[in-house]
Amino acid sequence: MSAITAEAPADTSHQPHDHNDHHEVGFVQKYLWTYDHKMIGLQYLWTALAFLFIGGALALGVRWQLGFPGAQIPIIGQLLPSTVAVDGSIIPGGYNMLVTMHATVMVFFVVMPLLIGAFGNYLIPLQIGAGDMAFPLLNELSYWLYVLSGVILVAAFFVPGGAPGTGWTAYAPLSSVAAYNGTPMGQSLWCIALFVNGLSSIAGATNYITTIVNMRAPGMTMFRMTLPVWSLFITAILLVLAVPVLSAAAAMLFADLNMGTSFFSPAGGGQPLLWQHLFWFFGHPEVYIMILPAMGLTSEILAVFSRKPIFGYKAMVYAMIAIGFLGFIVWGHHMFVSGMNLTLSAAFSVSTMIIAVPSAIKTFNWMGTIWRGSIEFTTAMCFALAFVSMFVIGGLSGIFMASTPVDLFVHHTYFIVAHFHYVLFGGSIFSIYAAIYFWFPKMFGKMLNETLGKWHFFATLIFFNLTFFPMHNLGLGGMMRRIADPTVYEHLRQLQPLNVLCTIGAMGLGFSTFLFIWNVVISLRNGKKAPENPWHANTLEWTIPSPPGHGNFAKTPTVYHGPYEYSVPGMDKDYLPQNEPAPEGARLESH
Amino acid sequence: MSSAALTHDSNAHPSAPPAVAKFGMIMFLLSEGMLFAGLLGGYFVLRWSEVGFPWQTGHAWPRGEGVPALPVFLTSINTIFLVASSFTFHFAEAAVAKRKSGLAWLFVTIVLGSIFVGVQCYEWWHLHHEGLWFNTGGVYGSSFFVITGFHGLHVVIGVLLIVWCFLRQLFTKCFTPEYHPALANVALYWHFVDVVWLFVLTLLYYV
Ligand code: HEM
Ligand SMILES: [Cu+2]
Repeated sequence: MSAITAEAPADTSHQPHDHNDHHEVGFVQKYLWTYDHKMIGLQYLWTALAFLFIGGALALGVRWQLGFPGAQIPIIGQLLPSTVAVDGSIIPGGYNMLVTMHATVMVFFVVMPLLIGAFGNYLIPLQIGAGDMAFPLLNELSYWLYVLSGVILVAAFFVPGGAPGTGWTAYAPLSSVAAYNGTPMGQSLWCIALFVNGLSSIAGATNYITTIVNMRAPGMTMFRMTLPVWSLFITAILLVLAVPVLSAAAAMLFADLNMGTSFFSPAGGGQPLLWQHLFWFFGHPEVYIMILPAMGLTSEILAVFSRKPIFGYKAMVYAMIAIGFLGFIVWGHHMFVSGMNLTLSAAFSVSTMIIAVPSAIKTFNWMGTIWRGSIEFTTAMCFALAFVSMFVIGGLSGIFMASTPVDLFVHHTYFIVAHFHYVLFGGSIFSIYAAIYFWFPKMFGKMLNETLGKWHFFATLIFFNLTFFPMHNLGLGGMMRRIADPTVYEHLRQLQPLNVLCTIGAMGLGFSTFLFIWNVVISLRNGKKAPENPWHANTLEWTIPSPPGHGNFAKTPTVYHGPYEYSVPGMDKDYLPQNEPAPEGARLESH
Repeated sequence: MSSAALTHDSNAHPSAPPAVAKFGMIMFLLSEGMLFAGLLGGYFVLRWSEVGFPWQTGHAWPRGEGVPALPVFLTSINTIFLVASSFTFHFAEAAVAKRKSGLAWLFVTIVLGSIFVGVQCYEWWHLHHEGLWFNTGGVYGSSFFVITGFHGLHVVIGVLLIVWCFLRQLFTKCFTPEYHPALANVALYWHFVDVVWLFVLTLLYYV
């Protein structure tokens, strides 16, 4: 609560000291309980990467079972809890747990914390020229609430009955009646975990909005802000408005499970469909929460490595605002088969198709940005370019599903699974990789190895498509989501080779991640030392040492123009940092 | 709202300036508002799809025989205490702005807030006694207890925050006309809890 935060840091504040003089603080104060937004960003980064491994392992369990139904999992099969696997083979209930936990972990504990927790924390103050977030204590609190919620979620595997198995969407009445789901304890922990995670998100979002509105450096007008900051700003507003609705729904579900209430039970006058409405009222803004920051980060990287200004900077901003707004009125497209009124369903179809327009505007602007640029194919740039291509594939399948008659056929099939992995892995995760390769030098003062990076990139791109493209075909061929064994269905047997292909792709994808870890490890140990501004970029974080000292800027910077002044006509060097006034005769893009 | 002057030299991590803290509080309250919007919206949908709107024929809420009615009169009186406490808190702030301690008004606010909580507790106990609880009366009981429970929790937290302000003012006299962000933010929170109550009251008790 800000009332407390506003006061508390004062009690613990250090004496003012010189900027680059890191006075010795203990391990706990430096790494575990810190008020420095950069360290908090890194805390988020490492924790979320750890969760990425948990989530990835769960996904491999899922793929193993779908590729080779009933086959024993080599080596680790015997170690799995009996609710998941018996004799090393995954059982149907256990399969449901794997699917549910995989998605919940990836959405709430990997993608959101990486994009928003890690890059949001790290970049916002640096890119707006502030010394820190508005509420440093609240910031650290938000991190530890995230950790706590993660512990609660993972604990669900070890309670009687095991983890929840109702999907990340937890549809009632399956989720709300203990006799149906068989895992009331796990499901309750799921509710608590999401509630606590929501508190963490809200704390973070409150902080971001306040910081961006109030703490920009002199000259940093809203329309001189970088696109990552803009995207995080809009995302934070979405978080503040959408997440509490999930919290309310989770509280109701918890009460139904444990206190005998009947919000979702028809016997007591409740309605299972209420859950779907509440969940998707949150759920759709949520998917934009997971893509807007990715779009922002990608935009930055595309401009830097094309050495060109963003094409249509303002259009990019307005498109994000439009996406944020429209995101709240399309949730019904997840519920076309719920028996809703056809007129309403047509309205949701139309609003969904309209939301594709600002998404397309962004895509065209990215193409405009790289068009005729002098492109440098760094690993970060490769991932950013791949982001655009993969996002287009995912966005296009989205438009198919937006049409009610089409969706009636593909709903709850692997076509949907293909769609959201193209936007979430091909989109969000690719942009996260791009951003890690791009900002790693600033964060750790070391360059990542480019050769290994390229290997990592190509392996990821190839195996990603190998894993997820065939899922379109599987879905159109009639394969349902969330089935533990496709081979028991007559009509799916002929598709089994595609399932095997997906599984092989997934293993490759898992393997490609080790290239990344290896790269991080060796680069941290003996990578090239990173200069202040290795990419010749314009934004403020590149005007200070890598990594920046405590307090960021020795002197509050003054900003003279927008962030994307690359290859300015009339200038010798091809970039112009935001804190450098333009030389005589330079023709700037921004004001 | 770009106020570059607010960029703080975070070397010493000073606390956020009052205007910024207040802005943050408003953002937080926005999300709190959405929490209650979710709860009340859910209730709204369930109830009206079940029995129709109050002006429609056949509207009867709660449904079924023998379901205890809510003590509307008592709650209306109780509402007066809560609304009054918003005013007294405001007087406390006004007193601080005039360089007075404001302690007396804070104390009255704490008393009023506590009375509200006490009466709500009595109401819960009473309804429980009559046979209405989370798990009885269907959606009627569920919504009543979950929504008033969430709201009551907010009131309790509010009272504790006011006690905290009271004690700080009593022992350190830390609130001055120039600088009292903690008091101002707790006041915002308290007014918010008050306004939410008016929605809860209208939807649960009156219609
Ligand atoms: C061009 C814009 C997009 C359109 C038109 C669109 C449309 C849709 C539609 C209609 C569905 C429901 C299909 C069904 O269940 O029958 C859906 C599902 C989904 N979409 Fe999108 N989408 C778009 C972009 C995105 C983005 C950017 C993300 C995330 C980053 C995303 C993530 C998801 C997810 C996770 C689901 C599945 C939810 C579930 O049932 O588990 N979508 N999309
Ligand atoms: Cu959606």
